[in-house]
Amino acid sequence: MLETSLYFIQQLLNGLTIGSTYALIAIGYTMVYGIIGMINFAHGEIYMIGMYISFVAISGLTMLGVEYLPLILFITLLISVFISSTYGWAVERVAYRPVRGGNRLIALISAIGMSIFLQNYVRIAQGSRDIAMPSLIQGGWSMGPLDGFQATLSYMQVVIFIVTFITMTGLTFFIAKSRMGRACRAVSEDMKMAGLLGINTNRIISLTFVIGAALAAVAGLLLGLYYGVTNPYIGFIAGLKAFTAAVLGGIGSIPGAMLGGLVLGVTESMTSAYFSSEYKDVVSFGLLILILLFRPTGLLGKPEVEKI
Amino acid sequence: MKKINKKLLGISASLMIMGAASLSQAETLKIGLAGPVTGPVAQYGDMQMIGAQMAIAKINEAGGVNGMQLEGVVYDDACDPKQAVQVANKIVNDGVRYVVGHLCSSSTQPASDIYEDEGIMMVTAASTSPEITSRGFQMVFRTIGLDSHQGPTAGNHIADKVKPSKMAIIHDKQQYGEGIASAVKATVEAKGINVVMFEGITAGDKDFSSLIAKMQKEGVDFVYYGGYHPELGLILRQSAERKFEAGFMGPEGVGNKDLSAIAGQASEKLLVTLPPSFDLRPENKELVESFKAKNQDASGAFVLTAYSAVQVMTDAMKKTGNGDTDAMQKAMREMTFKTPTGDIQFDEKGDLKSFDFVVYQWHADGSKTAVK
Repeated sequence: MLETSLYFIQQLLNGLTIGSTYALIAIGYTMVYGIIGMINFAHGEIYMIGMYISFVAISGLTMLGVEYLPLILFITLLISVFISSTYGWAVERVAYRPVRGGNRLIALISAIGMSIFLQNYVRIAQGSRDIAMPSLIQGGWSMGPLDGFQATLSYMQVVIFIVTFITMTGLTFFIAKSRMGRACRAVSEDMKMAGLLGINTNRIISLTFVIGAALAAVAGLLLGLYYGVTNPYIGFIAGLKAFTAAVLGGIGSIPGAMLGGLVLGVTESMTSAYFSSEYKDVVSFGLLILILLFRPTGLLGKPEVEKI
Repeated sequence: MKKINKKLLGISASLMIMGAASLSQAETLKIGLAGPVTGPVAQYGDMQMIGAQMAIAKINEAGGVNGMQLEGVVYDDACDPKQAVQVANKIVNDGVRYVVGHLCSSSTQPASDIYEDEGIMMVTAASTSPEITSRGFQMVFRTIGLDSHQGPTAGNHIADKVKPSKMAIIHDKQQYGEGIASAVKATVEAKGINVVMFEGITAGDKDFSSLIAKMQKEGVDFVYYGGYHPELGLILRQSAERKFEAGFMGPEGVGNKDLSAIAGQASEKLLVTLPPSFDLRPENKELVESFKAKNQDASGAFVLTAYSAVQVMTDAMKKTGNGDTDAMQKAMREMTFKTPTGDIQFDEKGDLKSFDFVVYQWHADGSKTAVK
């Protein structure tokens, strides 16, 4: 009995860890969709770039002789967020803004092109092999009998939970309370009207991309530390999963993306735990279809009201 | 006047191009080197390419084949079946008649259909899936053993030496990984080993924490992994972080230095079945020196098998006196080739008559030692 419940706890923790990083990436999708109604397929690539930058920054700092780990991580976070945001901003400026007035499909194709471009750009610059880094944050707490199954919560998982929580809370407050956040909500509700009322919509759209990219960079740093491995192709699968999470939670809704990420992570982990890891993706995407059948707007999405 | 000049210029230019083309056709014989130059398993492609290029260089030094110089043309399939088909079609269009490759079994299989139809000779130096040669094809050969040999070698080692009480077999759901995992499962189960888990993962996944927790709960003390190194490296690394202390074993697809880069200390004591270290054969001393002179590493699993792949084709060309692939394939089934991987012969299917895999113990610095 004890073993079964410990096992359940362990799998729940595993699922929440992966789920919270899905959520971080999913926010980028959902915010962009909420404001300009397009799917930014290059977002997964921004996450991948964030991970590469963290690797480069960490090895650079270690080479410079910085040894205090929290300092390394803090500086890396700043560098990675800054550079990735610049990428996010530039992608919007170069690939989406010029085609924004036209058909939505054009922006979609432009996004796919951007995704392929970034992937291959990193591949040429950094090589196609997996790049690895030793684990920086080791150890953890264990629960359970010494001779039987033990549930472990590693320090790295705790770091992931805490950082995700802080970032999410920060974002929620920013959107709900700040001036810029209010402008974001206004643009998302009615872009034309917001423009007429004196909100610089171009700047707000850029801001959305920058926030999305910054969160993707945070996820990139966290998962880079957690797995210790990266390659130019990880953005694709991660992007797909995060996009699923965003749709699951209701695309356009920020709390929805958070919930969707967690649900997806836990579903995957539980399927591997009690069924088989072979069917992990089958079950999670089956769940997505079911939810969309019964709640077409996702878990927390609001049905779009036709504005007259 | 001006017009005529232009025309003349055009004609003479096109003549020159044609002349150049026919000149190069007469002088070089193109061999397609197909394999992953990019992608997650590109290091295996490197092994194949340096081995084949070395063979081409050596044969050219010795005067070429039937008075012609060889030229290796690299084609990148990124170990992706779809891309492999495109590469095969490109090879057909380029008029290349001889191919060394492909590398991943799942790429070799669809590409070989095209080569067989077009009468292009293909020798793979690395694909070990038995299905590739089991379809009665005439043009498909390989200079490496089969999973149906490698699996039992691994399985017998596990059952006779390791003797685990509860074993898990994990694979990546690809042709190569699942094939070899099934072969290992059949062998160990026949010898009475208790296999408590047989599961697939998705290649490209990064998180194996659920799988590891499951193996911990089942009390698994030995794991066989069928697949490639990026996933096994992460499984090893995450197992170490979660204090899951089972023994691990994998096929030749995991045995390269990048595994140690990913898994670090956790890759110590991993067991790997690999082709024998041909680079340590005394006959190959001189050859290994030539690799060193070029700053290349001859110890990779597929370097010398790729060398042999080039050599068997050129030897057959010399024997038949021309480049006709149909005559070559008939000759190849009868000849004995003296290659760096030993004296080799092909059977009717195009497989080697004998090829032994060896169990090695892997070390965290990327080196390996044979297990007695």
